Amino acid sequence: MICDEVTRDLDAFVDRELAADAAAPIREHISACASCRQRVADREALGRLVRSVPYYDAPERLRARVSGQARRTTSARRLMAWAAAAAVVVSIGGGISLVRSGTARADTPVDEVVNGHVRSLMADHLFDVRSTDQHTVKPWFLGQLDFSPPVVDLASIGFPLVGGRLDYVAGRPVAALVYQRQKHTINVFVWPASGGTPAVQERAVRGFHVRHWISNDMAYWAVSDLNDVELTEFVRALQKA
Amino acid sequence: MPSRVFEEIVLPHLDAAFNYARWLTRNDADAEDVVQDACVRAVRFFPSLRDDDARGWLFAIVRNTWYSRVSRRAGAAELPLDSTTDDPADGALDPEARLLQQLAVARVREALEQLPADFREVLVLREIEGMSYKEIAAIVRVPIGTVMSRLARARDRLSAVLKPPSLSMERVP
Repeated sequence: MICDEVTRDLDAFVDRELAADAAAPIREHISACASCRQRVADREALGRLVRSVPYYDAPERLRARVSGQARRTTSARRLMAWAAAAAVVVSIGGGISLVRSGTARADTPVDEVVNGHVRSLMADHLFDVRSTDQHTVKPWFLGQLDFSPPVVDLASIGFPLVGGRLDYVAGRPVAALVYQRQKHTINVFVWPASGGTPAVQERAVRGFHVRHWISNDMAYWAVSDLNDVELTEFVRALQKA
Repeated sequence: MPSRVFEEIVLPHLDAAFNYARWLTRNDADAEDVVQDACVRAVRFFPSLRDDDARGWLFAIVRNTWYSRVSRRAGAAELPLDSTTDDPADGALDPEARLLQQLAVARVREALEQLPADFREVLVLREIEGMSYKEIAAIVRVPIGTVMSRLARARDRLSAVLKPPSLSMERVP
């Protein structure tokens, strides 16, 4: 491997878009070549700089106009389906709110977890417990669920745990762990499951990436708009933890 | 997907669509117009949506909407930057470090806004939206290899504009 070849693949390497067999020789080369190591570091620093710029959220009036216009345009039949699917807020004693979706269609877990993810972002109900401390989040779940979800922080590799909440999937209360990657939220839904395969299944639903696997008798569903590459990295780290 | 509705599928990506439009247009008013027009088109083309990629689909519509507006008024002067947008500032920093960070952020934003639109958008899609090369290729409608080479050139250009001093400012704690 020579420096020119690194130049050719520098961006794909930094963006983790190279296949493992193409990335390995570069990793080896930069461990020995200070100038290529510096170039990789510069690219990574530039990426952090670009990510520091403001994120422009849609103004409320635009959101209101767009929803109003969608409502006028969609057919009455669709509207009725939407009304049937509208979330019903169920309050449980102790002040904990579960948001339950009474969708008309037969929801599979994948639809339900994506709905749960969307709801958590739109209804501004991302957290029941907001903490970056896994030792706060884990005991909180103990008081809410009849199982104990594994809670790990992955801040050391850039996926900080930011909180948790109760959600409702497949007819039962489940743990939703919330992680952050820059501007992206990752919801990890966890509940007990027997059997199943630890192999990760990948899906894309309505613009969100979904990963599902079973490990230690727990079903995991991770949902995010984060790109495939980084979500895969996150899932791997979670499986190893 | 007759029972799937616009609100449930497109609205969750509205902030991302606006952010993308804001970086394309470089001002709030145009970004709002572009996103609203795009949503009108999105409702019309809604049946054409593939189930798995609402965000990319919406981004592609935003992009087309913006392009057709730009070409319609080609030659029109660029609107001034909106200087009222607040930069996120870390409250934990001391005043001097915060000022330095704000200066660095303002400088990066200006540098990014001055890049050609082709470069600006791949950087925004990759770095801010965190999209994969494949997702970007589908929106920009170029091969994946072009996404890679365009990103490389965009980053070279941005580095040249920013030069080392601001890179070192970024490392201020």
